[in-house]
Amino acid sequence: MANTIFTKQYSDNILYNALVPLYHVCLEVFLLLMVLWLIFHQSYNPNETGDLSKEELQALIDEWTPEELVSDVDQNHRALHPRVITSKAQKYISIDNNKCLNLATHNYLNFVGNEIIEKSAIDTIHKYGVGSCGPRGFYGTVDVHLDLENKLAEFMEMEEAVVYSYGFSTIASAIPAYAKRSDVIFVDEKVNFAIQKGLDASRSRLKFFKHNDTNDLESLLLEQAELDKKNPKKANVTRRFLIVEGIYMNTGEICPLPALIELRKKYKLRIFVDESVSFGTLGVTGRGVTEYFDVPKQDVDMIMCSMEWALGTIGGFCVGSSFIVEHQRLSGLGYCFSASLPPLLTVAASKALDIMTKDITIFSDLKDCCELMHSALETINGLKTKSHKHSPVKHLVLSDECVFTIPREEVLYEISNYCIQHGIAVIVPSYLEKVEKFTPTTSIRLTVNNKLSSEEIKQACTVLQEACNALMSH
Amino acid sequence: MLVGGHGESNPNTTWLQSRGLWISYAVGMLTLHLILLSIPLLSVAVAWTLTNIIHNTCHFIFLHILKGAPWIPQDQGDCRVLTHWEQIDYGQQFTVTRKFLTIVPIVLFFLTSFYTRYATGHFIVNFVSMMLVVLPKLPQFHRVRLFGINKY
Repeated sequence: MANTIFTKQYSDNILYNALVPLYHVCLEVFLLLMVLWLIFHQSYNPNETGDLSKEELQALIDEWTPEELVSDVDQNHRALHPRVITSKAQKYISIDNNKCLNLATHNYLNFVGNEIIEKSAIDTIHKYGVGSCGPRGFYGTVDVHLDLENKLAEFMEMEEAVVYSYGFSTIASAIPAYAKRSDVIFVDEKVNFAIQKGLDASRSRLKFFKHNDTNDLESLLLEQAELDKKNPKKANVTRRFLIVEGIYMNTGEICPLPALIELRKKYKLRIFVDESVSFGTLGVTGRGVTEYFDVPKQDVDMIMCSMEWALGTIGGFCVGSSFIVEHQRLSGLGYCFSASLPPLLTVAASKALDIMTKDITIFSDLKDCCELMHSALETINGLKTKSHKHSPVKHLVLSDECVFTIPREEVLYEISNYCIQHGIAVIVPSYLEKVEKFTPTTSIRLTVNNKLSSEEIKQACTVLQEACNALMSH
Repeated sequence: MLVGGHGESNPNTTWLQSRGLWISYAVGMLTLHLILLSIPLLSVAVAWTLTNIIHNTCHFIFLHILKGAPWIPQDQGDCRVLTHWEQIDYGQQFTVTRKFLTIVPIVLFFLTSFYTRYATGHFIVNFVSMMLVVLPKLPQFHRVRLFGINKY
């Protein structure tokens, strides 16, 4: 039955073809022409601008002045005269054959040179060899990685931790894993270079606020809130991030976390804190800036941290809720595409964490040393510091009112040279001036560790004072 | 899902170039049409119009409404604002894939018109649905959001 209808209707079509309405014939001809136009049209890319005209090309060629491959370098350039270190970078260090008290490298808890940690690392080499032979997702996960992640999550009282193989790339990968092209990031203008690289890679819109200035931040947030109100559809798909450091590597100041958390709640931000310096140094049990301000850790979305400073090993980690942190196992570029942290360094971090859990007196010792150093530094005539008294990183700049016998930009380097010759290692940090967003002011960066005696602190400040006096015009 | 192994940060750009896609596409449509024809209550004309409408609805939804990609592309959210159509061949216009996908609804319209015997009701429905999928495919509408529809 159905079959007869089918054949009937199909055979009737021949009759109906004669009755095609005229408008349909026209339309079909038009569409056929369009098909031909499509088939024979040349392919092109709308994103590319057309070829340059001859004049434009010539103008570009004329404008261009070739740069020398190797330009003349000043023979006194500091990079041509590196300092040679012939010992471990522990409490005492030998620089160019001067035995110095080490106030230059970041070793806040003296885990570099700790024999228990060294021994555990060496034992691990005998068991696992030196490398892990692959990224975490590709034969590179060893039991010690999982152990360390559990320990870190437990120590930081967060749900999950993820371990990276390099401190810098921890921070530079974690940020672009979440912040994407259409998002907005509010960020302190003095953040360290790793964060800046993460910001670059995120391709997000950046809003820099003045260093530790919550009023400036709030005005930027209000501006954004106005924009969001005008275009709620866009606001719905725009994420707003706030990125700060616990203790700023470039200034030694502590971020005003409670105020930032208030703003986070008020303006619905996602806050990431870089705790590279504050981890293991702030708080009674060394759990960082959240413990220092007694802020619940759940109020911070993610904590990123390098293990290269306080923990004295290599690598870095991020902690947060599983929902947030788990995302990096597929989206953190440094996690997915780098070989995992060598087991010996993983075990060193684990061991250091054990020590931190067992013996909390190291944190009070460090705090005392920081305070002592701070009050001693404040007495130096010619130098001043804006760093926080509880920060193990102290930045010293020249006092405005002092007059020196040599150009001001040279003074700090000369002070550093003088100190190294007189047994105190302090340095002037180098920055990539053309690459930094806001190049930090030149300063002497001094680091404190928990085993400094009050005599050593006094001695360091005496040498600094002598150096200043030698360069000051009276 | 993390995609990789074929050198594309976003496979949406190239998967439609795959070998055998055109024949699979034709077989898929034929199957759909035969299924509709085999339903006793539907006349041939209705079956053709339904084929056309279903095909064009799929085009409209999957190529012109849905944006982004179903996996995590390593492009920092580049494709988040682009429909699948705009991602094809990284936005290159008049490529073979694009030509194929534009011509298919037009040819389908010819066939449907023929088998519906140019009935006015069928014509209006089929013509509108064809225009809705052919117009957004034109290069003039690349990254254009008329009246801000589907902009964010």
